[in-house]
Amino acid sequence: MSILIDGLSLGAIFALIALGYTMVYGIAKMLNFAHGDIIMVGAYAIFTTLSLNGHIALAIVISVVICTVMGIVMEKLAYKPLRGASPLAVLITAIGVSYLLQSVAQIIYGSKAQSVSIGNFGTIDIGSVKISISSIITLVVGAVIMTVLTLFVSKTNTGRAMQAVSEDRGAAQLMGINVNKIITVTFAIGSALAACASIFYLMQIPSAEPTLGAMPGIKAFTASVIGGIGSIPGAMIGGILLGVVEKVCQSIPAISSYTTAVEFALLIIILLVRPIGLLGKKRREKV
Amino acid sequence: MAKSKLLNKYKPKYYICYALVIVMLGVAMALQSMGKLPTSMANLFVQIAYSIILAVSLNLVVGFLGELSLGHAGFMCIGAYLGSFLAIQLSEKIESKLIVLIISMIFGGAVAALFGFIVGLPALRLKGDYLAIVTLAFGEIVRTVCKNLPAFGGAMGLTTRQIKYDTRKDTSLYIVAFITALVVLFLIQNLIRSKHGRAITAIRDNEIAAKAMGINVTFYKLFVFVIAAFFAGMAGVIYGHYTTPILYSVFSYNYSIEILVMVVLGGMASINGSIVAATLITFINFMLQKNLSGDAAAFKNLIYAIILIGMILFNNAPIFANLKNRIAPSSIMRRAREKKAQPGDITDDSADWRVIPTKIKMDEILSTDLQPNAAFEPDKAKSRVGKKKEGGETDE
Amino acid sequence: MKKFSKVLALVLCFAVVACFASCGDNSKDPTNPATPTENGTAAGTEGTNTSFDFSKEGEYSKKNDTYVIGLTGPLTGSASQYGISVQRGAQIAVDEINAAGGLNGVKFSLNMKDDKATAADASTGYDALYEEGMQVSLCSVTSGSAESFASRADEDGVFSLTPSGSSDKVINASKYAFRVCFGDPDQGTLAAEELAKNYNNIGVIYDNSDAYSQGIYEAFKAEMAKLGKSYKEQTFDAENKRDFSTQAEALKDCDVIFLPIYYTEAGLIAKACAAKGCTALLFGCDGLDGVKEQIDSTVTAKIKYITPFDVNSTDTKVKTFVDEFKAKYSDTPDQFAADAYDGVYIIFNAMKTAGVNNVKVDPAVLGDALISVVASKDFSFTGVTGTMTWDASGACSKEPVIVELN
Repeated sequence: MSILIDGLSLGAIFALIALGYTMVYGIAKMLNFAHGDIIMVGAYAIFTTLSLNGHIALAIVISVVICTVMGIVMEKLAYKPLRGASPLAVLITAIGVSYLLQSVAQIIYGSKAQSVSIGNFGTIDIGSVKISISSIITLVVGAVIMTVLTLFVSKTNTGRAMQAVSEDRGAAQLMGINVNKIITVTFAIGSALAACASIFYLMQIPSAEPTLGAMPGIKAFTASVIGGIGSIPGAMIGGILLGVVEKVCQSIPAISSYTTAVEFALLIIILLVRPIGLLGKKRREKV
Repeated sequence: MAKSKLLNKYKPKYYICYALVIVMLGVAMALQSMGKLPTSMANLFVQIAYSIILAVSLNLVVGFLGELSLGHAGFMCIGAYLGSFLAIQLSEKIESKLIVLIISMIFGGAVAALFGFIVGLPALRLKGDYLAIVTLAFGEIVRTVCKNLPAFGGAMGLTTRQIKYDTRKDTSLYIVAFITALVVLFLIQNLIRSKHGRAITAIRDNEIAAKAMGINVTFYKLFVFVIAAFFAGMAGVIYGHYTTPILYSVFSYNYSIEILVMVVLGGMASINGSIVAATLITFINFMLQKNLSGDAAAFKNLIYAIILIGMILFNNAPIFANLKNRIAPSSIMRRAREKKAQPGDITDDSADWRVIPTKIKMDEILSTDLQPNAAFEPDKAKSRVGKKKEGGETDE
Repeated sequence: MKKFSKVLALVLCFAVVACFASCGDNSKDPTNPATPTENGTAAGTEGTNTSFDFSKEGEYSKKNDTYVIGLTGPLTGSASQYGISVQRGAQIAVDEINAAGGLNGVKFSLNMKDDKATAADASTGYDALYEEGMQVSLCSVTSGSAESFASRADEDGVFSLTPSGSSDKVINASKYAFRVCFGDPDQGTLAAEELAKNYNNIGVIYDNSDAYSQGIYEAFKAEMAKLGKSYKEQTFDAENKRDFSTQAEALKDCDVIFLPIYYTEAGLIAKACAAKGCTALLFGCDGLDGVKEQIDSTVTAKIKYITPFDVNSTDTKVKTFVDEFKAKYSDTPDQFAADAYDGVYIIFNAMKTAGVNNVKVDPAVLGDALISVVASKDFSFTGVTGTMTWDASGACSKEPVIVELN
């Protein structure tokens, strides 16, 4: 039971990261490998504010602002010049940006892990099971953000413009949508989500290091593919599924050393059964 | 004119790749015979050789078949572990290190090829980024399994000291590695220039159309994955003979991405480009490691990242296109030629026509219809010279 | 046109690299003060042992004007905190030795290359170091790299004293390979005895992707089987080494949890245990040193670990080292730094004992002299990690201390 709860709360973090991943992928059609490193930036922003005796609320605000600005700057400097170039060139640039952020973090903060305490609100007991409140908050916030994002994308003008850009960039441009602006907005939202993820990440895993974002980034990518790239509820489901599978695997001694293999095998099986992910949209191929 | 016919049949650009490798091999051997080849350089050449094999074989999948693969290091991992494992067993029975290396290379390649077949199966059903994540997942699964096998030494890695090929007095692994690279290049060049190669590129350009033309898409997709995996496995065996111990952490998706970087930088479906980029990236890493010691090492990744982003932006971004045109040798030459002319001179009209595409067509029509006279001839000749120069410079 | 630009980009890039290459060379000059060069061979008679002949110059070391100690270690990537610690510890020792006049007036210099904790990079790093005139080495930081380094060094006869490559594979790779730290099996056996004696309900969390952790765990497992004790085990690996809630949950009823891992993960485990309300004692090996900075007020469990080095020790040597480290890097030294610090001094003392009197000495000649000195019964060294002696296998014997944190 408590394994499920742990899995859910880890999954909620994956889901938050995956939401950002899937947004950027769906609209900009690029795999942003540097997304995980934005979480690292967010974590260090919180660490810096706290170590300067800033209040936790201030730290959260600063982290969100820094990540958002970082996302926009990254998009303008590294990705915008490549609009229209081969998607692989953009992918490689994203990897370059990821290396860049990691090494800058190492130069500034050193490579030693820094302990960050933002308090974990204690635990509540239900029967014999202890549930930490931070994981409940993570789950609730994840669900709220998912709902808000879904509403944002389907109800607001900007959201609808995003959908249009995602469907057909050329046609959207012809309809008077400022594609560049929409993509920048997407990056801003994606990075802000990464900042949120970094807060919940630190609540459960209270330490920051330069390579913090690499593995969660890959896991979130996997989660968003399981859910179907571009689908917001899909990312949520994929993230939670992955978190639970990871925790269940770890708790069974016989396969705990194969955890990574099992997670990725799950991905392959799901994709073989449903090549577009759980909730992905099927597109008909035209000749 | 006879010469150009010959050139048409044996286009020099198909042979540049061999030339590149042979030149590197020649330089290294010449240095060694003079006793001026330090071990670090000999080892750098080994690294370059197996990087070339990896990059060229990945290019077959990414550039020619058009499927993104992020699991190439996984095939290398299989080759490195299994090939070296066999080589360790063989080294007790067979004296000659070369024979052990060749046998284990074929074995490692074959097992990797088998896994290539398994990875190729989802490739029939999945597309684009979905396939990319499946290959990434495959690579991670392979190395996780290798890590957990006690026969491979677990986390402590597979010690390959007994099959280490080079000694400090006798460095010859780079020769074997370069010759392997030449064989791989020969096989791949001939494959892509054959009807099978054209079928593969047809699938890349339009799968449905290719299917409609009667091309067996299933066969060719699997075929490419198997071949690429085979070569990657061979590279892995060379790696196992080059260093000890073999650690599972090397073959992470980061390494697959590094191979992909070589392919993308060199240019999709460009064998020559892959060779140049593989050499360059290995060389950059080598120089950065060599020259940034102690505290400066923290800047290694920073510099690498900046070089990477810079090169990609420079090669692909539209805003640099204008700049590139201006500093490209051909345009500098053209400008130099034009400057020689006196301002008052009235040059041939064709000089202006060249700029406007439609008029070039007219020029050609005119020239064929009216029996080209002296006025048109130099212009055409000039443009041809320009083109040839361009090709020649690129290949250096 | 497009092709040209590619060529151009490549050329530019070569230019950038070349630039950095030359920068690297320039910046090296000030760190190698050329002052004590006048006569490397002078005053050599002071040495206590004159049975070695150091007049042979090395192919690459003949340009040296200082004794060059080489090593590789992870300076970038996820293991880099350990490599950087080693670099800092060794640098302090080298600076101290140089300030005190070096060996007969000849100074030492440290040359460290990044190996990202991979074997292949350790061997290319070794090649580069050797060609830059390395005469004696601190081998490499992590076990896998150290094995690769030592097997290369074996061919050239370079003395390799690893500060932290604790796997037995390292010292088995070369007769020139020695270590400063405990061996993994020794620690595992010791921990098993200690725990089996005092506790009943024992749990273990180890990293199955790390040679250090696996090495200790296997010895621990064997010893526990011999003692007839049972225990509960949990694992993690490099891909899942941040979230430890499952492991903490599974072991929360234990009296003691054995952690044969490094301090970064141990800190996270301590926090995860605190969050689960687990109050078990956390027991670790020398890798746990440094865990104090990784935990916060939420952690109430006691932490104990076997270590030869205690930051809070009142020993004057330790105090001087810790103060100097804090002053220079504004950070507390860990086990890695202490081992590296001692490593440099061991090399220095052994060279002094051997009577090395030629700054351009051939590494192989020096290596042969050093192994016979260090492995001899008369040679012992007392440093910040205790008093050490060595046998010909390269293993180091020293007294472990059990340190307790609250």
